[in-house]
Amino acid sequence: MLQNFTSLVDAIAGFASFEALFHVTWATVLGIVIGSLPGLTATMGVALMTTLTYKLPHDLAILVLICMYVGAIYGGSRTAILLNIPGTPASAATTLDGFPLARAGQAGRAMGIATSGSVLGSIIGMIFLAILAPELADYALQFQSYEFFWLAIFGVVISGHLTAMDDPIKGWIAGFLGLMVAMVGREAIHSYDRFSYEIVELTGGFNLIPAMVGAFGFAEVLSVMRSRAAKMVGKSSDSIIPKVGEVLKHWRTILRSGVIGTTIGIIPGVGEDIGAWVSYAAARRASKNKEEYGKGSIEGLMAAETGNSAAVPGALIPVLTLGIPGSAPAAVLLAAMLIHGIIPGPMIMFESPGFIQEVVAMVLFASLAILIFGLSLTRVLLFLLAVPREKLMPIVFVLCAVGSYAITNRLFDIWVMMGFGLAGYVLREMKYPMAPLVLGIILGKILDDNLRRSLVLTDGELLPLFTRPICAVIWIVTLATILMSIESIREPIMGVVRRFMPGRRSN
Amino acid sequence: MHPETPSAMTKADFLTGIALVAFSTMVAVESWRMPRFENTNVNPYSVPGIVPGLLAIIIMILGGVLIVRSISRGGHRLGWTARSVTSTLAAPENKRLFFAVFLTVGYGGGLIGSIPYWLATFLFVFAFVLIFDWQAGMARARMFRLGAVAFAVASVTSGLVTWVFTEAFLVTLP
Repeated sequence: MLQNFTSLVDAIAGFASFEALFHVTWATVLGIVIGSLPGLTATMGVALMTTLTYKLPHDLAILVLICMYVGAIYGGSRTAILLNIPGTPASAATTLDGFPLARAGQAGRAMGIATSGSVLGSIIGMIFLAILAPELADYALQFQSYEFFWLAIFGVVISGHLTAMDDPIKGWIAGFLGLMVAMVGREAIHSYDRFSYEIVELTGGFNLIPAMVGAFGFAEVLSVMRSRAAKMVGKSSDSIIPKVGEVLKHWRTILRSGVIGTTIGIIPGVGEDIGAWVSYAAARRASKNKEEYGKGSIEGLMAAETGNSAAVPGALIPVLTLGIPGSAPAAVLLAAMLIHGIIPGPMIMFESPGFIQEVVAMVLFASLAILIFGLSLTRVLLFLLAVPREKLMPIVFVLCAVGSYAITNRLFDIWVMMGFGLAGYVLREMKYPMAPLVLGIILGKILDDNLRRSLVLTDGELLPLFTRPICAVIWIVTLATILMSIESIREPIMGVVRRFMPGRRSN
Repeated sequence: MHPETPSAMTKADFLTGIALVAFSTMVAVESWRMPRFENTNVNPYSVPGIVPGLLAIIIMILGGVLIVRSISRGGHRLGWTARSVTSTLAAPENKRLFFAVFLTVGYGGGLIGSIPYWLATFLFVFAFVLIFDWQAGMARARMFRLGAVAFAVASVTSGLVTWVFTEAFLVTLP
C-alpha cells in the first residue's frame, strides 16, 4: 500500500513538468469543446485523438487521451444546460434539471454546480481507482481461461442489458455481433485466416480504431446532418463560480453519486450515461424535495454530473486490471494502450509497474484542469456552440478519414471506418446500442482464445466451466440478468419479493 | 425508412430478424466448412470454426426471437406502397441524409487515393458547405458570400490537415 502511495507521488511529480502540463491544458480544453458540441462524443474524441497522438511517448499519449476523456464527459453538460441537448450521451440526465435552471436565468449557477459535481465525481472515482485497481489486479492473477471466457460473456450480456434497458435483446444482438466481428482475421491457435476471403487486409482482422471512429464519429456525422439544428435557449448572465456552501450542502449526494458512478463504471461496457441515470434516480429516491426534480433541482444536477464523471475512473479499473473496458471511450483507451505497447490485464503490475499510479495521476490532472478551464472559458465555449453544423461536420469527417488512414497508412482502413459508420448509423436508428458492439469487438479475441483453451485443457469436459467458484458466480449473475429481463419470468419473482417485502415498491 | 413510431420499429425488427438469421446461417455454414486439421491430429476442441459457429447459433436464436416477437405485434405486415416509399425517401431529413452519405462516401471511397489528398479534401469540404447551406431563391450577394465562406473553410481545413499530418506526424498522405 505504502509502495503504491509512493509510486503515486512519483507519478504526480513526473507529470508536473511544463511539457506534460501543456498537453493537459490543450487536451482538456479540446475535450471540453468536443464534449460540448452536439454530435461529437467522448468516444469519438478519444478515438480521433488516438490517431493524432500515436507518435508521442506512451505516458504523454495516454495523458492526452485521459484528459480528452474526462474533459469531454464534463463538456457535455454545457450543451445539456444551455441547449437542452446532451453534448454527449453521458449528459442526458443533466438536461432534466440543468436546462430548467438555465431557462430561469441561472445558467451560470447550473454550470458552476455541474463543474463542481464533475470535479468531485472524478476525484471520488480516482480514489477508488487508486485503491481498487492494484487489489483487483492482484486478485485477477487467479483468473484462468475459464474465468476469462465467462468474463467475456458476462461483459456482453450485462452491457447489452444495461445500455438497452427497454429492449435488452437489441443490446445482446449488438454485443454478439461485436464478438462476431472480432472473429474476422487470423486466429491465434492454428493461424487460420477466418472470413478473410483472400483479402490481405482482412487477415489481421478489423483494426479497432477505424471501426470505432466509424461507429462513433461517422455515424454521428450522419445523425447530426439528418436532424434539425438546435437553437440555444439558455444564456449565461449570472456568475458561474460555485458557492462552496452550496456544494458542501450536498455532500451526501456527492458521495453517494460518486460511489454509484464508480461502481457502474467498473461494470464492463456500461459507461457514464448509465452512471448518471442511476445516480440521479438514487438521489431522487433519497431526496426530501422529490418534487423539485425535473424542474431545476440543484441536487439532481449535482447527482447526474457527479455520477457520470465518477464513472470515468471507474471504467478504467477493469481496463487496467482485466483488459476489459468499462465504457466505450475506455475501450478506445484500451486499444490506444495496446498501440503504445502497454498490455492491460492482471499482469500489468509486473509488466508495467507504476502504470496504474500514473493513470491515477493523469485523472487528477484532468480533474483539476476541468475545474480551471470549465470555470474560466465559459464565453469561448458559448462562441464555439454557435458554429453551424454545416461547417463543423465536414471537418469532423475529414479527421475521421485521415485519422483512420494515418495509423497504418492503408486506404482500406478508410473503408473500414465508413463501413462501420454506415452500419452503426442504421443500428443506432433502430435502437441498437453501440457500447456492447464495441465491447464485443474487444472481447471477441479473449472469448475465442479462452474458450478453446479451456476446452482443450478439460478435453471437452464442460463441467469445470461451471463449477470453478469464480466461474460459478459470473455465470449465475449472467443467467440471472438474462432471466430477469424476460417479463414472464421477472413478474412472478417480483411478486414473491413483494409478498415477503411488503414495503418495497416495484419502481 | 426511419423507424420512429412503434409500428415502424416493429417492421424494422422483423426485417432485421430475417437479416440476422440469414447472416448467422451463412456464418454457421462457413464455420462448419473451416478446416479441422484431422490429419495433423490436433485437439478437436481447438479448431477455428468452433467459436464463430457457436456465436452464429446464438445470433440465429436472437434473430429468431426478434422475428417471432415482431410477428406477434404485426410487424410482418409491411404494408409498403410505392407512394409511402416515395414520400419517405423525399422527406427533407432523408434528403439531407442521402446528400451526407453521398458526399462522405464519395470523398472517402472515391476522391481520396484518386487525386492529391489536399485537393480531395478541399473539394469535399467546399461542396459540403455549399450544398448544405444552399437555399433556393438566394440573392446573388448571399450566394457569393456563401461561396467565399465555403472556399475559406475548405482552404483552411485542407491546408491545415495536410500540413499537420505530413509535417508534424510525418504521414505519407495518399
